[in-house]
Amino acid sequence: MSKNSAGSTSLVGSKVSVRGLRKSFGSNEVLKGLDVEISEGEVVCVIGPSGSGKSTFLRCLNKLDELSAGTVIVDGFNLGDKTVDLNEVRQHIGMVFQHFNLFPHMTVLQNIMLAPVELKKESKADARATALKLLDRVGLADKADARPGQLSGGQKQRVAIARSLAVNPDIMLFDEATSALDPEMVGEVLQVIRDLAAEGMTMVVVTHEMGFAREVADRVIFMADGVIVEEGTPAELFGNPQQERTQDFLSKVL
Amino acid sequence: MNMSRARKLSVAVTALLALASGFAGVSAVAASQPSSHVQPRTAVAGETYVIGTDTTFAPFEYREDGELTGIDMDLIRDIAANQGFTVEIKSLGFDAALQALQSNQVDGVIAGMSITDERKLVFDFSDPYFDSGVQMAVAEDNTEITGYADLAGETVVAKRGSEGETFANSIKDEYGFTVKALADSATMYDDVKAGNSVAVFDDYPVLAYGINQNNGLKSVTEKEQGSSYGFAVNKGQNPELLAAFNTGLAELKSNGDYQSILDTYLEQPAPVAASGFFGLLSDSLPALMKGLGLTLLATGLSIVVALVLGVLFGFFKVSESRVLRGLASIYVSIFRGTPLLVQAFFFYFGLPQLTGQSIDVLTAGVLTLSLNAGAYMTEIVRGGIQSVDPGQTEAGRSLGLGYVTTMRRVVLPQAVKIMTPSFINQFVMTLKDTSLLAVIGFAELTYQGQQIYAANFRTGETLLIVAALYFIVINLLTMLSNKLDKRFNK
Ligand SMILES: Nc1ncnc2c1ncn2[C@@H]1O[C@H](COP(=O)(O)OP(=O)(O)O)[C@@H](O)[C@H]1O
Ligand SMILES: [Mg+2]
Repeated sequence: MSKNSAGSTSLVGSKVSVRGLRKSFGSNEVLKGLDVEISEGEVVCVIGPSGSGKSTFLRCLNKLDELSAGTVIVDGFNLGDKTVDLNEVRQHIGMVFQHFNLFPHMTVLQNIMLAPVELKKESKADARATALKLLDRVGLADKADARPGQLSGGQKQRVAIARSLAVNPDIMLFDEATSALDPEMVGEVLQVIRDLAAEGMTMVVVTHEMGFAREVADRVIFMADGVIVEEGTPAELFGNPQQERTQDFLSKVL
Repeated sequence: MNMSRARKLSVAVTALLALASGFAGVSAVAASQPSSHVQPRTAVAGETYVIGTDTTFAPFEYREDGELTGIDMDLIRDIAANQGFTVEIKSLGFDAALQALQSNQVDGVIAGMSITDERKLVFDFSDPYFDSGVQMAVAEDNTEITGYADLAGETVVAKRGSEGETFANSIKDEYGFTVKALADSATMYDDVKAGNSVAVFDDYPVLAYGINQNNGLKSVTEKEQGSSYGFAVNKGQNPELLAAFNTGLAELKSNGDYQSILDTYLEQPAPVAASGFFGLLSDSLPALMKGLGLTLLATGLSIVVALVLGVLFGFFKVSESRVLRGLASIYVSIFRGTPLLVQAFFFYFGLPQLTGQSIDVLTAGVLTLSLNAGAYMTEIVRGGIQSVDPGQTEAGRSLGLGYVTTMRRVVLPQAVKIMTPSFINQFVMTLKDTSLLAVIGFAELTYQGQQIYAANFRTGETLLIVAALYFIVINLLTMLSNKLDKRFNK
């Protein structure tokens, strides 16, 4: 186990440290050398045109995608290290997908209890109590025994967030969590994310909701064509973008 | 059992070739042991010999009330009793019996088989026990064909590999007709009655018996002077059995038993009173039910093994390892890329020649069906797993669950639900495929039906009953499966 093997390469208090990250699918290089430091409790929003590599970047942070080059250190675990137990690392990193990916053959409660019970983190009874608490927190205490198929999109995404939180992660990754939702349901999901931010969760949020990014983010990263074009506080990036591509992009979405 | 393991790899490769050529008696065993002279011994007492015979070659062998009977059967049983040994009769079909003899699956064959020089190269024959000859028959209402001269331009049928075929071929150029070979007498008679061919050349006792049983044919020519029938053992094998047969035959001839057997079957057989459809149904049902039992047994065993194979190779197919994927692909393409019938022949006749290890017909049948169905199951399992949204696996893995746990708890429950209709379908296919095992003499439902219509010539009605049984069972099982599917895969 290489806990704290980050050593000098990572800043003190750094939760995520990405150095020279490259990722190719065949001959198509999708990430062309990213450097990112994220400190504890920080909320980073990632914006950029579709196809710029935002999802791939997130998927490299919990190694759903293999890294082609560079180092990624998350919570002290060096993901390039073959001896690192990925299953353990991933319990430190919650991930929320655009299409929810709830398990359709289980009830809401079973969806949330699956990982804690299978990973033997909690007894069934404790996991159940935790799950009910989490459901309450996302405002769905009454849906414990429903099946995912019976829920609206917003409800599904809130269950998915509760499911990620059940293994007690200290970093959360959101990949366009509201993009598949009807407009009237976006708010309820953003509210849950906002609450998490207020509680001090370290988060990387890929989003098209510029208003939300401006309000919640400590820092905004603008990506295009596999590189970080510009980053800064919401005020800097939205108020006074330096790069032409950033200005172009913002003029289209704002 | 008294199976010799002498047959070895030297003849192994010829097995499939022989199968392909249909009749193997001529082609297969050129490379054989030197002919050992028959050494009379009385070592047969207390032994059990497996004797292969035709499915139906009345009046030599056929079934009555499910029991094998006929001249050959009475003879071999009486000789066995006389000489103090036991016989276990395997009703395989003519070609199959000869195959089985060559691969030492049986110790001897008695099947109304003519003694010919060609066969003497491969088998050792007993003294002749019956003088036969070929005769021609035509449909009862046919007034045009009264002799060979009327056959010009027509097609006739003869039993594949029989004297009848040899004789028909010997005169076909002279009279200008074509010879078509079929596998058994009942089929040939139906072919003539249906008008597909105008005449049949068959052994005269068989024809005479059939005509007397109202099979719808008549003979218009005299019987040709023909060959004699003999009991055969594999070349150089079981000399003591051959000697015992000869001794026993001589004794039956001198004590009058032999003549009374012949009289029973050839002397004015009583015309059968044609029972109605329900008479046929109640007569045939016991045998058919026995067949149905074996059909279900073979299906059940095969499906269980196929399921195991399918899950194993299905996982190989979706695995990350190229070796495992390749292995599964080879398995699937072999068994999907060859006919089930060839596979059945191979496992029953070919494999014993390759390994020198005899195999019983149920084992060979289940091996065939399960390996075949397993290949299809593999594709079903692969398809089922791959049709589950990859996002499901990603969600499981991102929660920190391992590959196995994710498969077990997340992917498989969804995949099984997708696969179930295909599983049910495969189950039905395998059940139907069991009927192909009739060709290797597995006594399942179709085989029992063949036995029945071969003896009573009521092909249409018997096949209707057989088809109805399949239909009922398959639909009941399908309904049951769908019920279970609904209950467990909500
Ligand atoms: N599994 C994959 N195989 C091949 N190419 C991929 C794969 N995933 C993503 N890509 C490619 O990588 C590029 C970036 O994709 P993505 O990270 O999804 O962008 P974004 O999330 O910013 O829209 C796209 O061109 C996409 O086609
Ligand atoms: Mg994306």
